[in-house]
Order: sequence, then C-alpha cells, then structure tokens
Amino acid sequence: MDPSLPILALVPAPDSIPVHFGWLNFFFILTFVFHLLFMNAMLGCGIIALVRSLRGTQPDLFIAKEISLKLPYTIAFTVNMGVAPLLFIQVLYGSFIYTSSVLMAWYWLLIIGILIIAYYSAYLFDFKFDVLGSLTRNLSIAVCVVLLLVVAFLFTSNITLMLMPEKWVEYFSNTKGTILNFSEPTLIPRYLHFVCASIAIGGLSLAIAGKVKINSGIGKDSKNFEAMISSGMRWFFYATLVQVIIGLWFAAALPRDIILWFMGGNKFATPLFGLGLTCAVALLFFGFKKQIWLSTTAVVITVIVMVLIRDIVRLAYLKPYFALSDLKVEPQYSPMILFIVTLIIGIGFIIYMLKLAAKQKEEV
Amino acid sequence: MNYPVWELYYAGGGLLIALIAVVHVYVAHFAVGGGLFLVLTEMKGLREKSPAVLEYTKKHSKFFLLVTMVFSAVTGVGIWFIISLVSPAATSILIHTFVFGFATEWVFFTLEIVAIFIYFYTFNKIDDRAHLIIGWIYAISALISLVLINGIIAFMLTPGDFFETRNFWDGFFNPSFWSSMCFRITIALVLAGIFGFITAVFIKDADFRENMVRYCAKWLIFPFIFMVLFAWWYFASLSDASKAMILGRSPELIPATKIFVWVLPILFISGLLMAIRMPGKVKKPMAFVILLIGLVYMGSFEWIREAGRRPYLIPGYMYSNSIIVGDEAKINKMGLLGTAKWVKHKKINDDNILEAGQEIFKLQCIACHSVGGPLNDILPVTEKFTVFGMDSQLNGQGKINDYMPRFMGTRQERMALARYIVEKLHKKIDTTETRAESSVKELSVDIPPFDQKTDDYILLAWSSVGIYCMPGSDSWLKLLPPGNGISTQLIRRGETPEIVTEGVDITYDKTLNPFPLFTIKAWDKDKGKVLAQTSIAAPVSVEMGCKNCHGGKSRAGEENIKDTERFLDETIKNILAVHDKMSKTDLLETAQKEEMVSCQSCHPDSIPGAKGNSDLLNLSTAIHGFHANYLTDREVDACNACHPSSSNGSTLCLRGIHNEIGLDCTSCHGNLEDHALSLLVAEEKAGKTGAKLLIKHLVPTKVNSISQIKAREPWLNEPDCLNCHVDFEQPESDETFNMWTKSIDELYRSRTDDAGIMCQACHGRTHAIYPATGIYGNKRDNIQPLQYQGNPYPIGSNKNCKVCHTIDMEDEMHHPNTLTMFRNVQ
Repeated sequence: MDPSLPILALVPAPDSIPVHFGWLNFFFILTFVFHLLFMNAMLGCGIIALVRSLRGTQPDLFIAKEISLKLPYTIAFTVNMGVAPLLFIQVLYGSFIYTSSVLMAWYWLLIIGILIIAYYSAYLFDFKFDVLGSLTRNLSIAVCVVLLLVVAFLFTSNITLMLMPEKWVEYFSNTKGTILNFSEPTLIPRYLHFVCASIAIGGLSLAIAGKVKINSGIGKDSKNFEAMISSGMRWFFYATLVQVIIGLWFAAALPRDIILWFMGGNKFATPLFGLGLTCAVALLFFGFKKQIWLSTTAVVITVIVMVLIRDIVRLAYLKPYFALSDLKVEPQYSPMILFIVTLIIGIGFIIYMLKLAAKQKEEV
Repeated sequence: MNYPVWELYYAGGGLLIALIAVVHVYVAHFAVGGGLFLVLTEMKGLREKSPAVLEYTKKHSKFFLLVTMVFSAVTGVGIWFIISLVSPAATSILIHTFVFGFATEWVFFTLEIVAIFIYFYTFNKIDDRAHLIIGWIYAISALISLVLINGIIAFMLTPGDFFETRNFWDGFFNPSFWSSMCFRITIALVLAGIFGFITAVFIKDADFRENMVRYCAKWLIFPFIFMVLFAWWYFASLSDASKAMILGRSPELIPATKIFVWVLPILFISGLLMAIRMPGKVKKPMAFVILLIGLVYMGSFEWIREAGRRPYLIPGYMYSNSIIVGDEAKINKMGLLGTAKWVKHKKINDDNILEAGQEIFKLQCIACHSVGGPLNDILPVTEKFTVFGMDSQLNGQGKINDYMPRFMGTRQERMALARYIVEKLHKKIDTTETRAESSVKELSVDIPPFDQKTDDYILLAWSSVGIYCMPGSDSWLKLLPPGNGISTQLIRRGETPEIVTEGVDITYDKTLNPFPLFTIKAWDKDKGKVLAQTSIAAPVSVEMGCKNCHGGKSRAGEENIKDTERFLDETIKNILAVHDKMSKTDLLETAQKEEMVSCQSCHPDSIPGAKGNSDLLNLSTAIHGFHANYLTDREVDACNACHPSSSNGSTLCLRGIHNEIGLDCTSCHGNLEDHALSLLVAEEKAGKTGAKLLIKHLVPTKVNSISQIKAREPWLNEPDCLNCHVDFEQPESDETFNMWTKSIDELYRSRTDDAGIMCQACHGRTHAIYPATGIYGNKRDNIQPLQYQGNPYPIGSNKNCKVCHTIDMEDEMHHPNTLTMFRNVQ
C-alpha cells in the first residue's frame, strides 16, 4: 500500500440503516446475551462431559450422559441465538466485520465445516452413549469439544481483527484469506476469558439441570443428581476464581487509552466496570455458598454487564474510524414493528409449546 | 471496490458458493416440505390407528432432525458466511435492506427448532393432540420461513421498483415473489417425498414398506404437476433480460438449462417407478439415486436463478463484480484503481503495470472467473489472445454480449489487465509484432517500352479495387468472391485522340507475388497485331488482422508475408465458432461438413450483388458495426487491426500520394466508430433490428452526436474526391467524413472526365493515387505514368498533353486545373 495512505481510507463506506442505531444495538445486545449464555453452557458442559467421560467411573458417566442428552440442542440454540447478533452486527459494523472476515476468509469459512462435524459428534455422543466403547465415546466428545474450542478461537480472532483497521494492512502481503490476529496482545486473554466463563456457566447449568430434575420429582436417583449439583457448583466456583485473574489480565492487555475509559475516563465505562467487579465478587460468594438461583441471577446480570462493557470497548477501539452515529438512517419502521410483533407472538408460542410438552402422559 | 477481495484462483468463480448453496437449498426445502410430511403422516397413522405408520413417522423424525437441524441449519449460516466473503458489498446491501425481514425469519427459525425438538423428544410421551399441535407449529413456521426468505431471494433476481422507491415492501413483494414462492413450496413437497423414500425403503416388513414407499411417491408425483406449472409462471414473471439469459444468451447457462429440462421428466418417472412393487434390494439404491437426481435438479435450478441475473448481482443496481452500476462513469474517468479502496497501486507505471493488472483482475474478474478451476475458468476463454486482442476483447466486453459487465476503468488500466492476463496468467510474451525491415524486399519492375514519337496507342489500366483482401484459409471462409478485376482504356494518339472500343482484344500475362504484375496488351483483332501494351500490379493481400484477436497459428515461410499475418484454419474456425455462439448459427459445423462458408449467403452485399437475408445487416455493416465495439478510441490503429494498411505490415495498401502527405484511412472514412455508425444508422433506418444493439455503446468522434451522422450504404456512398478538391483545386481541408457520394455514378471508380476518360485511368486506382509509393518499390504502382511520360505523376500532368494528343494543348477540356504543374513533386 501507498504508505502515505491513511488507514481510514481502507475502511469501507457503510450502507444506510432503516431505523435509529439504538434499536439495532438494543436487539444486538439482547440477542447476544442469549447467545453467550447458550454458548457458555454448551462449551462448558462439553468440557465437563469430556473430563467426566475420560475419568469413566460410574458417577462420572452419569453426569457425562446427562450432558450428552442436552448437548445437541444446546448447540442448536447456540447456533440459532448466534444468528441474530451476527445479523445485527453486520448492520451496525458491516464495514468492519466483512473486511476482517475476508482477511481470514478460509478460517472463517472453515467454521461451518467444523461446526457440522462437532454437531454430529455431539449427536453420536448422545444417541450412542451406551452403545459406544469408551474409546469411541471419549473420542466423539473430545472431537466435539476441541472443534468447538477452535470455533471459539476463530471467532475471537475475527472479532478482535475487525476492531483494528491498523492491522488490516497485512492484506497487502497476504490476500489469500489466511490472516489470524496473533499479534494482538489481548487475543489470548480474551479467548481464555470466554472459555473460562464457559466452564463456570457450564458448571452452573449442570447444577441447574440437577436441581430441576430433583424439584420436578423426575430425578428418582436423587443421589446422582445431588452429586451433579455439587460437582457443577464446584466447577462454577473454581472457574470463576480463575476467571477473575484472566479478566484482569485481559483488562491489562487492553490499550492504555481504553483502560483509562474504565478508570474514570468515561461516564458509562467506569460505573459499569465497578458493577462488573461487584458481580465477580457476588458470583464467587454465591458459588462458594452453592446457592444456585442466586448464582444464576448474578450470572445473567454479569453477562449483561460484560456485554455492555464489551460494547464500550468496541466503540473505544473504533473511535478513530467510526461511531454508530455516522450511520445514515433511511427511516422505515414498519419491518421492525413486524419483527417485534412476531417476536412477541413467537415467545408466546414457545411458552405454549413448553407447557404442552410438560403435560406428559401419565404412564410415562 | 469498497472491500478487500479474497484471492481465490482455483476455487473462484463462485465454486464455494455453489457447493454450499446447492446442498443447503436442497436440504432446506426438505425441512419445509418434510415438516408437513411428518405431521400429515402422523395424522394418517392416527386415523388408520396404525402403530406401524406412527413408528415410521417417529423414525423419520429422527432422520429429519439430524438432516435439517444440523446440516440445513449450519449450511444456512454457511451461505451467509460465503456470500459475505465473496461479495461483501452485495451481502451488505441485502442485510441492510432486509435486516428485519431476516430478523423475523429468525423468530420462525427459533420456533422451528423448539418445535422440532419437542416433537421428536415427546413422541409417544404426550397426548396425540398436543403432539400434533407441536408438529403443525413446526410445519407452519417452516413454511413461513420459506415465504420470508423467498421474498429476499426473489428480490435478488427481480428487484422491481425497489431502487426507485427504496421501500422494504416493494423489494419484498417483488415481481417474482408469488410465483417463486409457489414454485418453491411445490419443490418442498416433492422433496418431502424424495427424502421419505430414504427412510421408507429401510422398513423391514415388505408389504408395509411398499405401502409407505407408494405413499412417499404420491408426495413426489402430485405436487410435481403443479411444480412444472409454477416453474413456467416463475419464468414468465422474470424480466425480459433474465429470460433471454436463461434461454441461451449466456453461454454459462446453457448446460444448466439443459440439465434442468432433462432432469424434470427423469425425476417424475423415477417417482412412478418407485410406486411399482420391487424387492427392497432394488429400492434401496433407487431411493439414493433419486435423492441424487433431486440434488442435480435443485442444483440446476439454483444455477439458473443465480446466473439469470447476469451481468448483475442485483439487477440494475450492482454488477456481478460488486461494482455499483451508477459508479461506472466515475470509474471510467478516475480509473478503477483510483476509486477502489483496497489497492496497492493507485497509479500505473511501466514497473508496476503487471501488478496493477493483477489488482484490476481481482476487482473485476475474480468474482465470477476462476483461474484453472472448474467454474468459469478464465484460461481457456482468453487463451487465443495476444495483448492487442485481449485489450480489444475487454474494450468490447459486455457491449454486445451483455451477460458480462463492461470493462470499467481507464485505457491504461485496460491495457494493464490485458497484459496481466496474457503475460502472467498465460505466461505468453506479447506477439503483437512490428515488421522487420528485412522481411519485405523491393520488387523489380520493367517499365514497358513506349516511344512518344512513333507509338500510335497508349493503353491505360487499373485494378478494380485498390487491393483485394482474402483470408489465407481458402477452404473455410470467403469474405468476398475472389478476384481483383482489371479495367483498361485504349487511346489512339493524335491531335484529337480517340478512345478505342471496337476491333481490339485486350489480353494479359501475369507473374505471381503479393503485388502481381499483369502485362496488358491491346490487339488489333483483324490483323492480330499488338497495338499497345502496359503492365499493372493488381494486388491481393492476405494481411488481414483476424489473428490479432481470433487466435490461431501463423503460416510461416512464405516470402514477403510476415509469419503472423497469414492465418490458418484455426483462426477461421474460431471466427465461425464465435459467430455461432453469438448469433446461434451452425457455421462451423457447415464448414466442417459441407463447403466453404460465404458471408454473403446470409449478409446482403451490394458488391457481388448478394441478396442474402434481407432481415440481416449487410456484410460491411455487420463486420464494422460489431468490431467497432471492440476497437474504440484507437483511430487509425483500429483500421490497421484488420486491414492491410499498417505501415508496419507487409502490404501498406494506402500507398498513393495521400499516404505520402500524411493522410490516413480516418481522414476520409472517419474513425472506426464513425465509419461503423454511418453504416449502422442506415441499417437502423431500414428497420434492421440488429443495428440497435451494435449502436448502443458507440460514441461518434468526428461529429457530436449520432443524430448528426449521415447514413450511408457500403460501396455506394463513399467519400467524394471533390469534397476536398473543390473545383479540382488544392484542398483547404483534409477531412471529409460524413459527405458521401449520392449514387454509384458519382464514385471515383465510375466517373470520367468531360472527355470520357475514366478518373482512374489517369490518376491510378483507389488508395494508390499517382504518384504512389510502396514498400515493394515506388515504381510498382506508377508503371503507366513512368512508361508514357517518364514521371510518376498523373497521366498528362505537368502539361504532358502529348502523351495522347501528340501536341501541346491550350484548353482544359478534361477538367479544370489540368494545365498546371503537379504540386506534390517527388
């Protein structure tokens, strides 16, 4: 590239949006929170199932099997809940994410193939849990988990690369779509931050599943479910403990001007960061006390706070190049109203279906 | 333009999109039809109180879950991924326009997932009514998903008036919305039957298996009839441009359309076959074969739908290479590299021209063309080109064959791209050569004897055309009937000379070379005595530039003919093949099977009096009009590209005094654009439909607008000498485009002076006006003036009246200005 050319000249011109960016950002954050919760549960449970399956004792296998039954649809919902934020991020930050995706095109596309294999491995682990020998069983869940970890890494690489147009110039020496953002100091802590959160939330969702079984009276073998709860809460507590350290590493790796936003430099960032730290303390406290529902509430709040912090970090990174208010609005609200109405009706139908499903035949 | 380009060479040309999209669309339609199949089959089981049918439904729902939830859902995201990697700009438009359409579809996608999981996991566990309700919620959600995504996909083919109104609903309820929706729903039902076979053939009980296979066959057969009707409706709702593309204007689409049409009955017949009782061993493989046939069917349909948009991604708004239609003028002015964001070389110089060419290739070509890959490979279609040919191809690209976008960028950028393709992709060195000085040898001429004192006659002779051009491949194609006619006038000398028209015979002898000399003799018929003799060259050239663009090897080793000038059958075959492709003819086959193809057998041409097909453009208009689109802005180089007029060539057909004083072809005929337009405008006025397409992209250079172009017929309306030589005087202008002779009688070749002497008799033939010069020696085209008056100037000039009159004359009785000294002395 012509060295005199400013990086800004590389940033593609964005297309106009149909509603105020605030709406799109709201839907983005809302759906992303759900995606994160499902994703964390999926990856965390997968890791726990792998560990349990490898250990292979009877109580371990009980937990692994319980997870195996839920893993496929957790993957389904993770993918499904990922579609919406991926849609909204393209509308808000299309110029950035399309560009960074092209730079790592082969890896980005690889995600699809990897996901299909991981998904079928999860089904194999589920449908054939009792039929498979321990080696094949372990292999099926190991393949699933390792591939999901790779997907997570590729997402992390893309999401960081999209924030850093100054790294895009690598395109001029590599146009093959094989650029990964390895030179980025936050890449590893950011990645580990997600994986560790997944282990914690995976543990918590295991505990929740056990609790639901016991409460509903389905869990005939309450000892096993009790063990599931305490194991889940242990995973949750220790992972959260490690998470605090990784979180601080991640924060420290951020560029100095962005850290300063959280140290009093920005009227939204600073209180949110404080809230985030408080949440971490609450998580550790409730986790230690094995209080499932309080932990769950704290987790949901934490994830929301973290998503908001993340949003601020993204805006801070992009500040030299872009602000959401730059997006030109060509207002047309009727499709959004259709979406909101459909969403409300859709949620109604989901609740209705869950109720129908709960009324199981008496003989079963 | 806006985004970086992922450099895919082998896998380019949409291969990855095709691979992902075809399998996804196949399974996704199954996910829609299959939902109805499940719930209706369950109802059938309940109605017939058949545990076997219910058990089959349950098993099928597991298969359904594994295929649709995993494969269909993830490949659906995959399409999103791949289109945003290959065409981010178009994807961005789609996403920004339809964000809430996609979001609404996502709600139904979520409902589908919840419903199908509950449906599968609660089979036999909740009461039948509740289970059926869940099934119906799935089926209806899936159907609505299809309706929603259909609106967006149909928009990509028929955006209707969206780009005027910018209204979401105008884009969504576009012209092909309803037809495409009905077509896709029937496909979904057919696929439900096809996928139903896969589970049904594994039923162990033979009777029940036959029963269920037949049931599945009904799903295939009954909607099939509607599917064909809806396919027709869908086609009818497309734009005329898309229809034309699908019906064969785009060569890319021909195989897909053929497959689609052939597979349709095969699919139907396989459905019928499956209804016949056969052992499980036969039906199992058959079911999978039908599954494959269905995939081919779906693939060919999607291929047609995708390519039916050519040359656009979004018709009327964005070209296939993601360039926005409205940006074309800006790009042509400022350059592609100047306007694109992700380029290294903003300016082209001698050092970076090939690298810049590669960047242009990336921006304009790679979206559709692979390099050496299975789809739209650029290599075979550019193999024949020299740099000049490639540059010309890019020049005309998308103008006549509008399935590709036109080249966009500056002349320099076009050359950079041409050079990149020829020199880098094909690793060829440029073969656009110049004539080596030594390759043309001067030919000796013996001036025939003449004695002013004793000879009673002078014989003047000229050839009917300045030069006769012929393709070197004799057995394949003829442009014109062969031959260069020779005309003569015999003058009996005396104080009052006389043109002799009776009692004499004229004969000729010849020697053979590119400018063959003919010895002409006038015989007294009665006495058998030679009255006068002279000689002239009647040139025939094989220096035609077809090979510059149409490929082929040269015929080497013939004296005085440059290796690259004489082309062989390969070139002609290519010309015929291109003609066949573009005009849907079968000339190549005819030429191979039967006999030489003559252009005039179809294209009218007044010179040999060929009537041809009167609906078609006449030959000269067709050839000039077509090629002008590929050779714009090149002034005399455009003429030299085909005609033997280049000063570097082995003919130099413009060899008269006009060449000597610096005029060229364009001085009289205009640039190729002007020349072609003058012919095309006449044909358009005559109501020939073919003219319009050729005119569309031509811009006149000698006048301001096409409306100022004076129509002319080839060979009849030509530049008149007297336009410049007003009253036979020294001209004040050296350009005479757009002023044509009105009839054949006004042509230089038909005119005489006031005494009945042909113009050509004294001034020499067209393009070789005395005093001529030539690369084979200056004498060769000036034989008669040299013979009769010892100088190369027009007969009788410099007051040489004695040549015929035997005495000096005082009156200008031939035409004004004859009794002056010749101006351009050599």
